[in-house]
Amino acid sequence: MKCYNLAIIGAGPGGYVAAIRAAKEGLSVALVSGDDLGGTCLNRGCIPSKTMLKHVEVIENIKGAKTYGITVNDFSFSIKDMVGRKTKVVKTLKNGIKALMKQNKIDVFDGIGTVNKDKTVVIKGGGSAETIQADNVILANGSKPFIPTLPGIDAVDYYTSDTIFDIEEVPSDMVIMGGGVIGLEIACIFNSLDTNVEIVEMADRILPTEDREASDYMKRELSKKGIGIQTDAKITGFSKNGRKTVVEVESADSTKNTLETDSVLVAVGREPNLTGIENLGVTFDGKFVKVDPNLQTTVDGIYAIGDLIGGYQLAHAASEEGIRAVTHIAGSAPPPASPIPRCVYTFPEVASVGMTEDQAKKHGYRIRTKKVDIAANGKAIAAGETSGFMKLISEEKYGEMLGVVMVGAHVTEMISQATAYMHLEGMVEELDTMVFPHPTVSEALGEAGSAWLEKGIHYS
Amino acid sequence: MAKEVFMPKLSSTMEEGTLLEWFKEEGDSVEVGEPLFEIMTDKINIEVESYEEGVLLKRYYDVDAEIPVNAVIGYVGEEGENVPENPPEAGADNGEGAEEETARSEADASADEVQDGTGDDKVRATPAARRIAREANVNLASVQGSGPKGRRHEHDVKNVLDSTKATPLADKIAADQGVDLSAVEGSGPHGKVRKDDVLQHTTHAAAQSVPADDVERIKLKGLRKAVADKMVQSTTEIPHVTLTSEIDMTHVIDVRKTLLPIIEKQTGYRVSYTEILMKAVSQLMDAHPRVNASLDGNEIVLNKSVNIGLAVAVEDGLIVPSVKDADKKGLAQLTKVSKTLGQKARDNKLTPDEMAGSTFSISNLGMYAIDGFTPIINPPETAILGVGRIVEKPVVIDGEIEVRPIMTLSLSFDHRAIDGAPAAAFLTDLKERLENPYGLLI
Repeated sequence: MKCYNLAIIGAGPGGYVAAIRAAKEGLSVALVSGDDLGGTCLNRGCIPSKTMLKHVEVIENIKGAKTYGITVNDFSFSIKDMVGRKTKVVKTLKNGIKALMKQNKIDVFDGIGTVNKDKTVVIKGGGSAETIQADNVILANGSKPFIPTLPGIDAVDYYTSDTIFDIEEVPSDMVIMGGGVIGLEIACIFNSLDTNVEIVEMADRILPTEDREASDYMKRELSKKGIGIQTDAKITGFSKNGRKTVVEVESADSTKNTLETDSVLVAVGREPNLTGIENLGVTFDGKFVKVDPNLQTTVDGIYAIGDLIGGYQLAHAASEEGIRAVTHIAGSAPPPASPIPRCVYTFPEVASVGMTEDQAKKHGYRIRTKKVDIAANGKAIAAGETSGFMKLISEEKYGEMLGVVMVGAHVTEMISQATAYMHLEGMVEELDTMVFPHPTVSEALGEAGSAWLEKGIHYS
Repeated sequence: MAKEVFMPKLSSTMEEGTLLEWFKEEGDSVEVGEPLFEIMTDKINIEVESYEEGVLLKRYYDVDAEIPVNAVIGYVGEEGENVPENPPEAGADNGEGAEEETARSEADASADEVQDGTGDDKVRATPAARRIAREANVNLASVQGSGPKGRRHEHDVKNVLDSTKATPLADKIAADQGVDLSAVEGSGPHGKVRKDDVLQHTTHAAAQSVPADDVERIKLKGLRKAVADKMVQSTTEIPHVTLTSEIDMTHVIDVRKTLLPIIEKQTGYRVSYTEILMKAVSQLMDAHPRVNASLDGNEIVLNKSVNIGLAVAVEDGLIVPSVKDADKKGLAQLTKVSKTLGQKARDNKLTPDEMAGSTFSISNLGMYAIDGFTPIINPPETAILGVGRIVEKPVVIDGEIEVRPIMTLSLSFDHRAIDGAPAAAFLTDLKERLENPYGLLI
């Protein structure tokens, strides 16, 4: 039986990153990949969606070329070629991870791992089974789309994020169940492909976990593009009408309506993938595996990270948790917690870090906020991308930055400036005195800081 | 010409001394050999005598100051002579008159300027700077030195620490709440203090201040601190194993009874079981050289001489004077030396030499109701013998139950240097020797 210092179950951004860090710490590592190197992020999530979003961004640019004085007489696109390019992108990155595993001398097992309490792992795949022994185990099993039990749902076809990026034909209309991050990004893709998109969200707003101002702004922006949005609306059932699917919707005031569509996307959240850990005896916290601050489960030496433990179900959150778990296994002190940034790649993008305004108030902070619109930013006007704002949420006494919310083109690339400030515990005063290059959209962050101190130059 | 008074370097490990008392005021006259001041090192309190005759012209430090070795702490000279207002740097050129001492200080100081090992450049630094840098995980090469030839001093390292110690937010909160940042343990890289560290510090301080009336807090310092540090070093570095064996003391008691009046008449001291044990142990070292060894890095050093360290309890601490060449001394001489050293230890009058060089130690708790215990090795030694009380116990001898005086010996050994079997063989031989003590005469 092969023995390892560490066995990691799942090769997503939690698992494979933890594997590399553990190898660099000098541990011998087995990575049980489930034949899914890169996990949901690479194969069915972040990367496929960003690839498709880039494709439709090009379409948007062509469609809007006239505003820049450019006439495009004719253009067409092929969904098959787009999906083909997506598959190539995924393959390139997958090969990259494969090379990293090899380079770091990590043994990758392509089967499904079942973990026992004594830290043996039985790996089954391709008709054979192998057992390995580990000193420590990190569970990084990830998650899968949650499918609610609703009348008629089994009788109709529906997409999830697992299947939508391999779609073969652009549907003429699509009902999206769920107005969260996944629902909105896919809505933007198909909106640009001229599909009639209707989003049905149960909460009182889309992006319910983000700052309310971002939700409101995005609702206006998406509606302007022709995306239908129903909030406070519950889907109560599905039925077939010939080739069409009928979706029954009930509003908060109990009024009912039906939507007829030729495609449905279910995007109401994700549930942990518990395959192979059913009999392990770890304690759960609701649907999720319960862990301590070092990511250790209630079974000594068995850790859990990523979507399996809830929290932010984000790739980089899983990576951070993986590294934290490895740090503990290697016997070092864990670094202080750092805020996790969140990105939504819609048109325009939404990016945020730290607390929302509501959360900061709920935590009892005395806060002040400052929001500056990108509409007046030189670079944004030159680029013709003037949608959005940057909002600073700061505590009043010390000027501690509690949260930053950005909406606009390319803000997912700019949020790290705010994250760096919060990670290094910088204050608004320093944001005011830091020099931002001109012309850039990022100047808006500095302006927000100055304006918060009532020293704004272009904003007050 | 005025002469410097230096902080003496009393042992190879001594880096600084704490000034306990000045025996002279500025302006007092001083004779050669007259005690000038008293210091405490990590091992001992000692009175330092004047090498010069004259007037104490200058005292640079007050009581409780911690002063690096070879630092100038004062001047002795003729009345009215001019001396610097501030203490000159250790090892700096102080003029012709101090040539000899200066040379010595330079030599000592440069011995500490070893290569840092991180690059090709020699990093010059004082021992104190080195220590702080090590504790705070600062790369000395990155510190700008203010001393001669770029030598890094304590304050150079501190400057670096002060300037990088806290996040802007932590700095601001600490200033606002009146928190001394240097007292806050930072959780960031290189001990950088973060907001949560400051807040935790203030809550911790608040929590501590509540039951302050219920407890008495004693600062670990001086000998207590030295004992504490040494114990931590020993238990963390040395894999200890303790073997115990019960000794039938019938014959040793007879031997002691017989020798007691003879030795008392000869030396004025009463022989105790400790000296008999010392004698027995020393005689066995030839056959068990590993027990009389030191561990020096990756080498086991087999010591030719047998110097037995004797653990002596003193006020708030433990001192281990060393009985030199115990294997060459008879019981009368061992008794005399042991008793003298014990008394000097309790009176705090041991010289550094009397405390150094032990190769094996004995710790006797037999005067208490203690049978066996796990003695902690006195590094760099590789073994220590713990001695329990003698108590009458029923034992089976030739199938009959008899009452015999029994003593338990506990031998702790460093498993890096000695394995279980040879250590057990030593203890077995020791038992044999004590149960048939006439072997001591051979």
